[in-house]
This record gives sequence, C-alpha cells and structure tokens, in this order.
Amino acid sequence: MLTFIVRRTLYMLPLLLVVSLISFMLIEIMPGDYLTKMKTNPFVTQQTIAEMAKRYGLDQPPLVRYWYWFKGILTRGDFGTSFETRRPVFYTLFEGGRLMWTFIVSLTTMFVTWAIAIPLGIYSATHKYKLSDHTLTFFGFLGLSFPAFFFALVLLWLLVGVFHVGQHGLGIGGLFDNRFIDAPWSFAKLGNFLWHIWPAWLVIGTIGMAGLLRYMRASLLDTLSLQYIQTARAKGLSERIVIYKHAVRNAINPLVSLLGLSLPNLVSGSLIAATILNLPTVERAFFSSLTAQDDYVIMGALLFFSLFLLIGNLVADILLAWVDPRIRYN
Amino acid sequence: MKRLIVILAALTAILMIPVAVSAQGYDKQPADAVIVPLGVAGTDYAALEPGVRGGTVYVGTISNPKKWNAVTAHETSTTQYTNIMQPGLVNLNPITAGYDPELAKSWEVSDENKVITFKLRQGLKWSDGTPFTADDVVFSFMDLYLNEDVETDTRDVLQLPDGNFPVVEKVDDYTVKVVCSVAFRPILNSMTANILPKHKLEQFVHKLHPEVAADAFNQVWGLDTNPKDLVGMGAFMVESYTPDLNVVMKRNPYYYHYDPKGTQLPYLDKYVVLTVASQDVLLLKYQNGEIDCFAPRPQDIPILKPEEKQKNLTVLVNKEMPGFGTTWVVLNWDTQDTKYRELFRNLKFRQALAHLFDKDTMIRNLFNGLAVPQWSPVSYLSPYYAGREKYAGPVTEKNAVVFPYDLEKAAALLDEIGLKDTNGDGYRDFADGTPVEIELNTNAGNTTREGACLIIADDAKKVNLKVTTAFIDFNVLVNRLMGQEDYKAIYLGLTGGTEPHSGANVYMSTGGLHAWHYSAATGDITEVEKRVDELTNLAAAEFDLDKVFEYYKEYQIILSQDLGFLYTINQAFVYSYYNRIGNAQVASPNATPSGNNGLTMDFIFRKS
Repeated sequence: MLTFIVRRTLYMLPLLLVVSLISFMLIEIMPGDYLTKMKTNPFVTQQTIAEMAKRYGLDQPPLVRYWYWFKGILTRGDFGTSFETRRPVFYTLFEGGRLMWTFIVSLTTMFVTWAIAIPLGIYSATHKYKLSDHTLTFFGFLGLSFPAFFFALVLLWLLVGVFHVGQHGLGIGGLFDNRFIDAPWSFAKLGNFLWHIWPAWLVIGTIGMAGLLRYMRASLLDTLSLQYIQTARAKGLSERIVIYKHAVRNAINPLVSLLGLSLPNLVSGSLIAATILNLPTVERAFFSSLTAQDDYVIMGALLFFSLFLLIGNLVADILLAWVDPRIRYN
Repeated sequence: MKRLIVILAALTAILMIPVAVSAQGYDKQPADAVIVPLGVAGTDYAALEPGVRGGTVYVGTISNPKKWNAVTAHETSTTQYTNIMQPGLVNLNPITAGYDPELAKSWEVSDENKVITFKLRQGLKWSDGTPFTADDVVFSFMDLYLNEDVETDTRDVLQLPDGNFPVVEKVDDYTVKVVCSVAFRPILNSMTANILPKHKLEQFVHKLHPEVAADAFNQVWGLDTNPKDLVGMGAFMVESYTPDLNVVMKRNPYYYHYDPKGTQLPYLDKYVVLTVASQDVLLLKYQNGEIDCFAPRPQDIPILKPEEKQKNLTVLVNKEMPGFGTTWVVLNWDTQDTKYRELFRNLKFRQALAHLFDKDTMIRNLFNGLAVPQWSPVSYLSPYYAGREKYAGPVTEKNAVVFPYDLEKAAALLDEIGLKDTNGDGYRDFADGTPVEIELNTNAGNTTREGACLIIADDAKKVNLKVTTAFIDFNVLVNRLMGQEDYKAIYLGLTGGTEPHSGANVYMSTGGLHAWHYSAATGDITEVEKRVDELTNLAAAEFDLDKVFEYYKEYQIILSQDLGFLYTINQAFVYSYYNRIGNAQVASPNATPSGNNGLTMDFIFRKS
C-alpha cells in the first residue's frame, strides 16, 4: 500500500508539468494580454505600454516566458508575481484567509449535502417506485438542472423583496453583516455567519444532492437484491436491521470513493455560487485573474486546482481499498 | 424562521457599540484650511447644508483594490481609494468641474506661460502628524512620477508637446515652481496628480537610496501593507481591508477642510466600501438597505423608482449630466480592400451612415430613455464643450453638429456616390458590381453596444445597405482598433475628462489611438487633420481660457463634421441614495474627492 501511495505521488509531478505546459499554452492562445485593456485608454501612450510589456516580460515569446517561470519554481520556489498586485501569485490567490473560507464553505456544504442526501437515498430505495420515491427524484433532478447563479439570485431576491430581511437588520450575501465583518469573533458573529452561510449550503448543496441521492438509491437497490439479504430476511431479522446493518453498510462502500473524488470540488466547484453569494473563495480570485489576464496567477490557480484533483483521485483509491478489503493495489 | 431572525437581531443589537467620535488632529483650525462654503449663498455650494459629525456610510463596488500605491495604480478599483487618501495640488470643483486650489493655496503663471508657481497651504499635516512641505511635492513629481524606474502612466500626461518633461523645483518650504520648456496649459490638469509623503516613501526610491533595487518603489504599498503605514492628507485613510468583503476607511484627523461653522470635515467617522462581485447583488443589497448610496444601471431605474417613497430614497436622473467619455462608430480608412478604403474616405458615405443612426430608438430601447445623443469629441461636462455659449457657459447646443435620423437623406447620399443595387439582390453594390457588405464589430457581452449595432444594421437595411454585425472578444476588438488586424467598422467607446487635451492621443494625426486613420501619422494627412493638429497645439499653449474655448470650439465642429468618429449616444448620470444621507444630491461624475461613482466624500453626512 505504501509503495502504491509513493508511486502515485511521484506520478503527479510529470502530470503537473504537462498540466502547466498545456495551461500556459492555452493562456497564450487567449487573444491579447494583461496590457490590452490599457491600450484603449487615451491617457496612456503606446510607449508606456511597450515599457510595461518589457517590465513584465510580455514582449518575450511564450516558450521563453514559460521557461523563466519554470526555472523560477525549480531554483527559487517562486511561482511568479501578479501583474496586478505585484505580489506573489499564491499571496494574491489566498490573501485574507480565502483558502480557509474556501474550505469552511466547501466542507460544511459537503457535510450538509451528505447528511441529507444519504438518508433520502436510503428512503428512496426502500420506497422504490412509490410516489415519495418519484417526488424525491423529481426534486433532486430539479435541483440538479436549476442553474446555480439563477437559483442564488432568486434566493437573494426572495430574501430582500419578499421577506424584507433588511428590515430586521439582516444582510444578504457575503459572510457577515456589515457591522460584523471587522468585529472580533463572538456568538453573535457566529450566528450571523450561519445566517449568511445557509444560502451557500442550499445553492451549492442542491447541485450535488441529486447525484448523491441517486447513487445511494441505486447502490442500495443493488445490494438489496443480493442473496445474503434474502438470507437475512429468511432468518427472521427485522427489516430495520436488514436494511441498516446488512444492506446500507455494504451499499455505502462505493460512495466512499466519491468522497475522495469530491475533494477537487472543495476548491474549485462553486465559482458561480461564490460570485453571486459574494463568498471570499479562491475561485473568485482565480476568476478575477482570468478577466484581467494576470497570467501567472492563472497558472498558479490551475496548478493548485490540478494538485487537488490528483490528490482527490489518490484519496479516492485509498479510501476504496480501506473500506473494501477485497480491493488491493499492486 | 421569523423567531430566529428576531433573536439574531436582538443579539446583534446588544453587541452594537456606540461609535466613538475620534479626536481632531489639529489644536486649532490651520490658517490655510479649506473652508467649504456649504449653504453659503452666492457660492457653488449654496444648495447644500452644513452637516453633523459622526456615523458611517456604506457603498458598494465590484472589484477589490489591487494595491494602495497611487503612483503605480492603473485602475479605478485602486484609485477610488488612493484619490481619497492623497489629494493633489489642484482639484476639480465637484459642482462646477473648474480647478480649485487643493494642497496649493494659489498659483501664478509667468515667463511666457512656461512657469507656474504654486503657493502651498501652510500648517497642514500628513495623517501621521508630520508637517507637509514643498519637499513632498518635489519628491512626488521628480522622484516618483518623473523617475524612469517608477511604473506610472501619470508620466504620460506630464509630457510636454516637445517631448520634454516639466521640472518641479522648491523655492522655499511653501512654494514650488513648475518649469516647462514650452507653454503648456494642460499641465495644470496634471497637477491633480496625487502628492505622496516623502518621509514615508523616499527609503524605497532607488534614485535617492541606491542600496534599494530599482524596482523597489513599484512593490511598495501593496495589499499586504499594514494600513497604519499608509499616510495621506485626504479626507479618509484606509483602516482595514478584507478581500472580497470590504475596505474600511477612517476619517483623517488631520484633514484640512472645514465647514463654514468651523466643523472639521469629513463629517463621517467611517466610509465603508463593500466588495460585491455582481451588479445584480449590489442592487439587492441597496434595496435591502445595506448600502446607502448606489450608482444604478439604466435597467435598475424602473426597479428603484417605484420604491422611492416607500423606502425613503432618491433616484437621481440627470440628463444634463451625461458621464465622461465618447461612444462612436469608426470606419477603417486604412482597410486593406481599396474599394472600402475609398468608400470610407468619402465624406458623403460617412454622412449617409451618420444619418442612419436612430439615436432616439437607441436611447429608448437600450437605456430606458436614460441617455443623450452625443455629437462632440469633448465631454458634455467639460467647460470647453462646444455646445456651450462660452467657456463654462450654459449649454445651448447652438453650435451642435447634428446628423438627424433621416433615411431618405441617407439613401440620397448613397445614390449620389454611386452605390446602387446592380445585381438585384436587394442590396447596394459598388459601381463595378461587387456587393457592399460592412461588418460592424463590437465587444461580445456588452448588451447596449450589441443592441446599438443591431439597430444600426437594421436601419441600414432600410436603405438597402448591407451592414452585418459580429460581436467579438474585447481583446481581439482592441487589436483591430489599434490597427494590428484588419477590420471595416467598430462600435466602441473611450473614456474622457474635462480637459479636451486628454483626447490628443486620439484626435491628433500622430496619436496612438487615431483609430480611423493611422496612416495620417506617416504623411497621408487630410486638411481637417492638419487643422485639428494646429488647434490642439494652439489650445495647449494658450492660457486665456476664452481663447482656448474658441480653439476647441472649432476643433469640435470640424472633427464632428469630418466624422472620423461617428458619435452615437452617451449614458445619462444616474445615482441613488437613501434620504438619510445628507448632501448626496450633488453626486456627479465630477465628484472629488470622489467616493464610489460620484459621491463627494468631504461633505456627505448621515442625518440623525
């Protein structure tokens, strides 16, 4: 197992290298560069723009720039500097606790999603083809097919336009009401945080809910049709014990690997919702670097997301082996 | 749910601490303090009222600041803070847009208009208590803006027509001299450049301290700087910054503006800018009462207007106050196809096209009526706008060059230049029978520009002229506009300001943005372009503003008649604020020291 993990970790390095090269080329294919917007500013002369291009190395061919960037990582561990902020890329991406907030938002959302989807999936499987099963499936898919940005906007509109939360001194979007943003932590601040985070749970959670519910349902149905379940029932065990002790425990195995696979989603899965709900996440910093064509920040973010994707896959494999003794990697 | 809300509200109410009024920095009002004559009859500020001290005003913005360095900043997401923190020698009057003395008390022009001597206000202090002197001014210009090591686009507006830069010299502690090699009136406009504290920043300037790297200053005052280290003389200083959430600004206890009652400005204790990534959510936050003042989009007005009474807010729509900048269609006189090149260079064709612009429909359909037709390269708000009677006079539009929407006239002009449908496909062709087809480009995603293009194409069809539309990536569009890629027609806009010379880069034949005719720079120059160059130089060297107005009047009239840019419409200024905020009614694009989108931060206050 240990050799497996070591080998997989080593494989990541060439993969990340390829990812970085492809990302860099894709960024190059995008028309224009960081300075293009400035060109239409009548107050700025072409000479100044040319000087800036030189300062930022944007006058060099892409492969040369890639090489300098790559050399910087190897020799100095330097992933480059943001054109916009003149600060290191990971500072620009993670400043102000963005990384922490990204994880808090994602992990709590994931927890809420699982805590709701798994029981509903079990219920759905045990009430197969009944009206309640169909209803759950219908709403699950409705949530899946509802665009997140629209759902988020409608939700905020309902809070403002219908429930008039402002009259009760409550704000929408972001992590806190205005007066709490810079205040030290307190129970009131925590309460206010919960008030601001539940729309994120609802909007981001709804997207994953349907899939998870259907996975759980299908997996449990598969298990319920196996012979040992029949045996358990034949022994005269109560239906509760048959389902929860014998069926669900086995049926949930494949879902555990889903947990690993959802790791990359933790850092890169909720851009749109984060934008509308105004959450300070890494994706938003990534998005603004994309709109500004802040090349090295884009590169840094893509590498960061790729790393999580690879780690997520690895964790999924490990988890699967751990929960299912039949699986061995050699 | 409701109970939860009530409990939460109660909890938060208990924890709210009354805002303490911070101490004033000066022992007594400095002798050279600026008195803003709020409510004093006969002044620009007569319609306003003296306010009360204390409180916080919340506004919203779309993007995070990029740094706190006013010199190296390139974008308004940063300068909306730095311009409040660091004023310049002169400033625009927020009501009239004329020049007001700011850090300078007065100025005098001498030596054939080549020397401007500024007398500085005495007794002023930086926000850390250090006295302000001429050294700070000389440092800002000579060691920052005019220092080749420093990355700044302010250097461009300081450049004189002969390529030199002015020299800023200290005469005594409270007098500086700006010496130019040629007389250049727009230099006064550049004196709005932010003045920075020498005592804080000289240690990062390679020229003064060779031990630091040449690039050192460009990194200074980044977002990781402790706000306590930021020093300025403006109304507010940054107190804290939380990425993606807010920027909190705190009143500067050493600010030198006072109201006529002797109350030190600004009135507010704090000014908080919330970062809200989406315009739609910004509107919701405003409706929810979380932000006090808001610059709505045209489509937001029908939503806000009905709420005015119920929510006690004001929606300010001022058609007499379109924003700065121009919006236009440009035809590429240098396009590769010689037939089109000839066609676009034909004034009658350009006139025909101008007569096809149904500006009323554009205004009604795209801007909910909240826009005005535009005809001049100079912004409506500029005192040099040729729609005025005289310098800074009232707008009468007597001199306006207008091409009214007139399909018959357009058709007649097209007939006259020989564009007729010869192959019977319903569209006009060149004399040799090849079909005329003009692709009009604008940037994809800008719905008002896309809409305007469609309206133009639709009207062109009515006179059998084939205009197609293609909406492309902004950066590709810019490359085309810069002449790096071929194109036929583009719909786009440019920013502008009160000083018409800021358009020199566009309208002079050698300008880097002379978008319709780059070949003018290499000798292919028209009579109109020659005259525009002459007038630009005459106006730049002249200090008698009435004469400058006359030069710019001719400049605007001939440029508009020549139709290098075919101007379309300009959005009217709209602003909205809750009536609990005082003196917000003068929000305008001129506002200085400017809060978000048009608020003058000096004198707005929270009514108790």
